[in-house]
Amino acid sequence: MIKLIIDNLRVEVPPGTRVIDAAEQAGIMIPRFCYHPALGAVGACRVCAVQVLEGSCRGIRMSCMIEAEEGMVISTTDEEAVAFRRQVIEWLMANHPHDCPVCDEGGQCLLQDMTVSGGHGRRRLPVKKRTHIDQHLGPLVVHEMNRCIQCYRCVRFYREYAGYTDLGVMGSAGRVYFGRRSDGVLESPFAGNLIDVCPTGVFTDRPSRFKGRYWDFERTPSVCIHCSLGCRVTVNTRYREVVRVEAAHDPQVNGWFICDRGRYGFPYASSPQRPRSARIDGRKSGVDEALDEAARRLSGIAQRHGSGSVALAASGRVCLETLGALTRFGSEKGWRGPFFRAGPRTAEALQSASKNLEEKISISLKDIEKSDFILLVGCDPVNEAPMLALSVRQARRRGAVVALADARSVQLPLDARRLALRPSQLTAALMRFAGKAVADGGAALSDRARGFLQACRDSRVDPAVDEQIDHLGLAARESRRPVVVCGTSAVAPDTPAAAANVARLLAAEGRKAGFFPVLPGANALALGLAGRTADHGAALREALEKGDVRALVVVETNLSELGFSADDPLLENLEALVVCDCLDSAAGRAARVFIPTQTVFEAGGTFVSAEARVREARPAFRGGTPVAQVSGGGHPPRTFSPDIPGADPLPAWQVLAALAREGTRVSADTLRKALPAPLCGAAPGKRLALPASAPDAFQPPEDPATAADGGLEVVVCEHIFGSEPLSRRAACLQELESAPRLGLHPGDAAALQLSAGQRVAVDCGRGVIEGEIEIVNEMARGVLLVPRLRGIDWHAAADGPLVVAVADIRSVKPNGES
Amino acid sequence: MTAQVLFKNRHPDRIATLAEYRHSGGYEALAKVLADSSRQQVQQVLTDAVLLGRGGAAFPAGVKLSTVAADAPYPRYVVCNADEMEPGTFKDRVLIHADPHQLLEGICLAGFAVDAHEGIIFIRPEYEGAARILEREIALAEKEGLLGQNILGSGFDFDIIVHRSGGRYICGEVTAQLNAIMGRRPNPQQPPPYPTEKGLWDRPTVLQNVETLCCMPHIVRNGADWFKGLARTESGAGTKIFGISGRVRRPGCFELPMGVRLSEIIENHAGGMAEGSRFKACLPGGASTGFLPAEHYDIPMDFESLKQAGNRLGTGAIMVFDHRTCLVGVTLNLMEFFARESCGWCTPCREGLPVIRELLREIEEGRGKPEYVGVLKEMGRHLWNAYCAFAPGAAAPLESLLAHFADEVQEHIERKACPFG
Repeated sequence: MIKLIIDNLRVEVPPGTRVIDAAEQAGIMIPRFCYHPALGAVGACRVCAVQVLEGSCRGIRMSCMIEAEEGMVISTTDEEAVAFRRQVIEWLMANHPHDCPVCDEGGQCLLQDMTVSGGHGRRRLPVKKRTHIDQHLGPLVVHEMNRCIQCYRCVRFYREYAGYTDLGVMGSAGRVYFGRRSDGVLESPFAGNLIDVCPTGVFTDRPSRFKGRYWDFERTPSVCIHCSLGCRVTVNTRYREVVRVEAAHDPQVNGWFICDRGRYGFPYASSPQRPRSARIDGRKSGVDEALDEAARRLSGIAQRHGSGSVALAASGRVCLETLGALTRFGSEKGWRGPFFRAGPRTAEALQSASKNLEEKISISLKDIEKSDFILLVGCDPVNEAPMLALSVRQARRRGAVVALADARSVQLPLDARRLALRPSQLTAALMRFAGKAVADGGAALSDRARGFLQACRDSRVDPAVDEQIDHLGLAARESRRPVVVCGTSAVAPDTPAAAANVARLLAAEGRKAGFFPVLPGANALALGLAGRTADHGAALREALEKGDVRALVVVETNLSELGFSADDPLLENLEALVVCDCLDSAAGRAARVFIPTQTVFEAGGTFVSAEARVREARPAFRGGTPVAQVSGGGHPPRTFSPDIPGADPLPAWQVLAALAREGTRVSADTLRKALPAPLCGAAPGKRLALPASAPDAFQPPEDPATAADGGLEVVVCEHIFGSEPLSRRAACLQELESAPRLGLHPGDAAALQLSAGQRVAVDCGRGVIEGEIEIVNEMARGVLLVPRLRGIDWHAAADGPLVVAVADIRSVKPNGES
Repeated sequence: MTAQVLFKNRHPDRIATLAEYRHSGGYEALAKVLADSSRQQVQQVLTDAVLLGRGGAAFPAGVKLSTVAADAPYPRYVVCNADEMEPGTFKDRVLIHADPHQLLEGICLAGFAVDAHEGIIFIRPEYEGAARILEREIALAEKEGLLGQNILGSGFDFDIIVHRSGGRYICGEVTAQLNAIMGRRPNPQQPPPYPTEKGLWDRPTVLQNVETLCCMPHIVRNGADWFKGLARTESGAGTKIFGISGRVRRPGCFELPMGVRLSEIIENHAGGMAEGSRFKACLPGGASTGFLPAEHYDIPMDFESLKQAGNRLGTGAIMVFDHRTCLVGVTLNLMEFFARESCGWCTPCREGLPVIRELLREIEEGRGKPEYVGVLKEMGRHLWNAYCAFAPGAAAPLESLLAHFADEVQEHIERKACPFG
């Protein structure tokens, strides 16, 4: 530790600490504009000046640019340092508009804080303010260049940290301009962070404009539930409406940033379409009445057909409390389920990813940033878990090798080695990679590990790609911190287990190896740990066909994820379809009984992220229809009523308790304790106590999947905007959705005599997927990519990569005729 | 006439040919070191000769070369700074037009001294003529085996390319120039790491001014003592190219011993002050040095003496002002230049200089208020806390104006007009 003195206080910091950070640790906040912990020190703004009284560099120095030294003496209150800092503020204010009262950054502005706290209040300079032309940057971010103080944070984040190039710095001297070459939508799906990093109001939040001022908002710590990473966020509410979400700092997970899906995915909670009242057989009713009615029907069906004729359906959207309620009341009542995912393939992939996460190889997003070799298998970070892409990029910036094995043409903001492989090839490829990555014969390994290594060395994929895989394996030999990241949707069912085993093998060799799963949904890990493999959508379908299931309770789940279409005829066989959700959905409209539930913003909830971290969202407000929607648009919005309109929805776990006739006064704590280990011990803020070793560690896959012959493997692709059920309802994000097209490799398209823009219908057995063809160069051959976007009925392919024969693909005219 | 070293082959009407240069001893130094010298010997003779960087910063050239570690990674680079944009300075252009091979040999020697195999001449775009001369002469030297592969059969390879600048003053700053060569924004980069450790593409890079490089062949050929003996003063070494402009009878570029007196340069070489002009002050080394008032008229022009006078020799570009010149106007003019040429990276430079320019304009145009003097003094002092040496350079004329010519500034304010009309 280094000992130094700052403003007469003794401070002890680790070597390499910057003076600005050392002071902060001692409670002294040195002003800063350009310095940002994630973006580093660049010494541009000069407002963090201090006087170095003792040390190797005496005099006025920038505290961000110097490291703490033993015996250093620093004064932040030195007369000359203060005079210089004041001068910097005066210079910056010489050109900054005096529009704080109407600026959207007002109250949350670093420049405002520093100007006021520094005492600068009188203008003595006879200079005209310079002006710039602002740009239109899309639906999320507002640009107002006149407020710029040239701290360069925006471009340092956008280009260096995040790796996108359409925003940059132009001009020189007093004409420095931060923006795009011309107006246009920002290409980065992390663009919203510009708003957080900008110390003034150059980049402000567009959707929350005119919804209130910073000091009007109630701010609540929460967690993002739009993917499985569990980034920390701050929720802003006003007048019963969620108006804005910002990144909250979490050093282990998301650092300082979040993605735009997480930032702008919230409008579903305040949407006018959000169902706020219950319905029985199409008629509006009170929630209590609907709960009574649903409970009566369910118990009637259970009495007539046995308790197993009632089934539960859930998804990675439900929180730990609701999952606890599903588990507890389901087993108490003898109900089936919860059913999750579409079929055996996806259910197995999720479960093997979840159950293989063990203490030694489990890592955080922060650990990924420190790794030196990253193999991404069947996962598309930007689209499935966006912040993962930024973590991988930080590792790449530090020199890590990044490789992708995927069927899709995965786009990353970094350069990566690519292996275009069909999902059925991924397991064998992973194993072959591991066989090469381990240098010696594995003398130090256990028998089981050695057995797995042998299986790896025997693994063959395809003579065309084996050599590339071998090169990659050899490149990984020297790595000290290798990481295998594995998805669960565009992979073979046994791929996640193989990925975990590869990480285990590398760890058994003495390296600090990690396994990081990318899962479908904020609480998918918990669902994978709590659920039974056999309870998947295909099994539910079979039970419905046989008449074994007569009642279905769907809890915060889109039935398409279970492989059902919105108007699936099988659902009509049900005596009771009970849907509990905060979203308006086709299933909800078709339900005999619909019960509205609260969103995470009202109910709060606990979620277990993909890295097994227990994340807590606190209730941000009490719920109810936004004031703006009940006040007729008047200003100021005023309503007078003894109770809150639209506040009938209950948390889903209370709904389940009521359906089980347990009353709604059930404690969330008890529900979490009803879950199997290690979920029952989940403590917010901590990681789950993972098993030291998974039971089937080092179990080689039984029969390495062989390549499909002639047919195409259909892969459903998640998109960052438009796929995830909650955020796809945000109007601002809908503008950013890609066009829905079916992707084909140019070679396959030629063989099938299909060209770009042609419409095809693909018979997937359970349904037909229809769409326009797009030729995708970097994807694997023998694969058909189906986007999970509006306009494409993808549910028929929901159960992972299934194989369709060439004969099942036919060209159709736009109106649907063959 | 004093000893001519760098201008030995200078002709009033044409460029010295390769044959002329060789006839005068050119490329002998290179042949000698390639035959029997080590890297360290070359570094040592340059260090012993006290060859100080002629681009303005006066860093010892030999020491700079020796900071490239023997085990430093390859490739290594030598960059010749021919981005001569300091107002008043034109010596590098004259040197290139006079005897281009002298520069090429110097670059090659510097390359040998650090075991680099690539030299880059970074030249300002207005010097297109010089750039073409260099390109032509590089090709000639290559044909004669003096550059390129296996130079003079020694096995040493060295290539030189000419890189035209985008045309900004800041590109003359070492680290900004390296960024510019790499295609990045020309923002300076504070060391560490130093360019000799991590420069172009993170590889060791030695950057030297044209004049400094031109001195190298002569030092290697004639020895350190000879070079030191060229100077007029004990503290100086070698000759210096002085570019004199302003109110003198015969402005021009003269090679004179280091330490020659200012009065001697003006009177003996520049033909004295112009008709009817009295010496009031000069900028002794380009726009980023301070005004040298008449009391220093006899000062020996070397690095040390000017430092003692609180000024700098800079590039040796002397701009002479007479008793009829308004120094507020001169400073305003310089601030126009500096405010325009800032890279825009740090606040003092980007925001401070335009504000200072506006305050000077107010004073010059008769709208100055008495309190502006204090504000200017404060701001001048604060310019020293900028990111690189650009703003402190701009502070030099401003601060010396306020220190030595306060009355003139005051007179502007009191008369609400420029006293010089």
